[in-house]
Amino acid sequence: MAAEPPNARRAFLSVLAQALGAFAAALAVIPGLGFLAHPLRKQTIHGSDSPLRVANERDVKPGRPVRVTAVGPRQDAWMRLDKVTLGSLWLVRASENGPIKSFSTVCPHLGCGIDFDDKRGKFECTCHDSTFDLDGRCLGGPSPRGLDELETRIEGRDVLVRYRRFRVGSAKREPIG
Amino acid sequence: MSAGASPSPPSSKRPASLSATARLRGWLADRVGWADLHHALAGGTVPGGASLWHTLGSVAAGLFVLEAVTGIALATVYAPAANTAWPSVFYIQDQMTMGWFVRGLHSFGSSALIIVSGLHLLQVVLFGAYRRPREVNWMVGLAMLGLVLLFAISGYLLPWDQKGYWAKVVEATITGSAPVIGGAVQQVVQGGTAFGNLTLTHAYAFHALLLPAVFTGLLALHIYLFRRHGYTPRWSLTPEQVAARAVPAWPDQAVHNAAVGGLVLAVLALWTVVHHGAPLESPADPTSSYLARPEWYALPLFQLRMYFEGPLEIVATMIIPGVATALVFALPFLDGGRSRRPGSRPGVLGAVVVGVVALGALSAISLAKDARDPAFAKARAEEKLRTESAFALARKGIPASGDPFENDPMRRSRAVWDERCAGCHSLTGTGGDKGPDLKDYNSRAWIRGFLMEPDGPLHMGPAKLDKGMRAVDGTSDELDALTEYIYAETGAADVDQARVGRGRDLLSPKDCDTCHDFDGDGENDGPNLKGRGTQKWIAAVIADAGHGLLFGDRNKMPKFASKLTPADIADMASFVYALRAQK
Repeated sequence: MAAEPPNARRAFLSVLAQALGAFAAALAVIPGLGFLAHPLRKQTIHGSDSPLRVANERDVKPGRPVRVTAVGPRQDAWMRLDKVTLGSLWLVRASENGPIKSFSTVCPHLGCGIDFDDKRGKFECTCHDSTFDLDGRCLGGPSPRGLDELETRIEGRDVLVRYRRFRVGSAKREPIG
Repeated sequence: MSAGASPSPPSSKRPASLSATARLRGWLADRVGWADLHHALAGGTVPGGASLWHTLGSVAAGLFVLEAVTGIALATVYAPAANTAWPSVFYIQDQMTMGWFVRGLHSFGSSALIIVSGLHLLQVVLFGAYRRPREVNWMVGLAMLGLVLLFAISGYLLPWDQKGYWAKVVEATITGSAPVIGGAVQQVVQGGTAFGNLTLTHAYAFHALLLPAVFTGLLALHIYLFRRHGYTPRWSLTPEQVAARAVPAWPDQAVHNAAVGGLVLAVLALWTVVHHGAPLESPADPTSSYLARPEWYALPLFQLRMYFEGPLEIVATMIIPGVATALVFALPFLDGGRSRRPGSRPGVLGAVVVGVVALGALSAISLAKDARDPAFAKARAEEKLRTESAFALARKGIPASGDPFENDPMRRSRAVWDERCAGCHSLTGTGGDKGPDLKDYNSRAWIRGFLMEPDGPLHMGPAKLDKGMRAVDGTSDELDALTEYIYAETGAADVDQARVGRGRDLLSPKDCDTCHDFDGDGENDGPNLKGRGTQKWIAAVIADAGHGLLFGDRNKMPKFASKLTPADIADMASFVYALRAQK
């Protein structure tokens, strides 16, 4: 039976069966792909846009960077967290009574943590040995840009920082929430 | 051509004029042999001709694939823990584009899979396709139907909403009632002695890992055995007709399968759109008394249990379903009929008809009973309100506890109440320790009770005021009129203006105006009653009840202006104001 020569009717039925099968597959697969693409179309994690108190101004001594954490609200998909550690940052004061700058501890190269080397007076990435000076400029190593500076201001004695994350691995500084 | 496949020989003599795609296909076919795979799945012949009867197994398999694809999509978001299950499903349902559609397809698809599998089973029974040599495949198919039900039951719990939670509580308890191993099985299924995080992780691993693995294996075995035995033609055809009408399964039967499958999927998609996806009730609340009903496929068992109380319960939950299942499994060996003709198998077909009618009748009885029951309608209406409020609160972002009701200002106010107010006031209607009972505060009944007995146990009695208000002396009509007047001051909408007017005319004759002013700025012995009971007035009492416009020197309530923030006071005022609505 199956050996009989193909005829036009069977050819048509074959195409029809495949088309109906494709319709069925599309019904399941297209919304499924939409699910996978969800994080591309919608921001699933929001940090805080408002400045967060991270330290007392007195605690930042000239030439002695301090590492502090930014604690604030975050919306993580369905969950709203009121007080969560959003990330950490280095507070740096270049000179006595000079302004305080803050740098994200996320290395712009591949996202490792930045440490401060007391002996050499330089910031250093623990993973790939990029080094940075107290102004955040890249001195050596694979990092494509300097440390990411965060918006900082002093209110009374409080150091307030607007904590952001930036895309790593590119020369351009691009905030990602 | 027999069901056994002969490998296609490598085609070496191919014309050079073939297109690039055709050459690629040929290249792949030579190496992978997908023609054989296609043949293994869809080859062979259909003796007696293609038929809609033969489509059901393929449609069920197609629905299983739909469940797998949508299930994987859902798994990219779903988080199985007690504080994340409902929130993540809420996120899918409410926040993701088309999330409700995918979840709806998955949920309604499982119902469709149960229905189509059931029809497939009935078709096999009608055609006598369980008979020699297909006994093993009959049992494999039954096991698969059991797994389909386990898929549905385990999946029902995962959203951790009221209906899923409570249905599971009942099922787990029934499991635990099984002799000997029941308790241990229940504890494993629950992941402990009570419901919690491990209940969800267990159900999820079972639903999304173990069951699919076992089911896929059985499906492969089922298809292999089916291809080995082939289609069972209609009983009414003679061997000559069966041979003469035979057609190749591809594409003749395949197009039937695809057409019915496409139709089922189209109905499923339409159903999902019309219902805007599968329902998601409010988060599981173990402290509530939810009116639990199982999903439609378990309704017959639910109703059956109604007829067996106490120690006999096990007859409905274990014995009858167990014996019925065993009989169905043994069907190929119990069927003593000479041929596949229905006429020669009256016992088998009669029993199946009785069974199907019994399932339908039990479901119908249960549905009809609930439809007539006003308590059922009330419970469902209450749950609907709770669900709407849960969704509205969840849209503000769900706290880490996973309970969207924590976003409810009333919930917070209740906590403040318990801490700050409950020491003196009661909300139960049994009387406070030092202040008025505020149950149904500001209702006509509360106000009228106050006027009749200001020093009563539900009103100012517990405060033990020195020279407090005297009871109003008047007829029932006069009390109603004064009550309506005070009631109108609270800002209530449903007031009888004529009666309010009569009440106003009584203020002087009844000596109310000796102690009270009604203009909003005169200080007197008693509180100024202008706007008494409004949220603003309640807030003023909470802030400083000893103010000259309020209770003045007689006040004994602490001043909360220095203890609570203005926002808290406003929240507490709306909490107290809302007490009237509570019944």
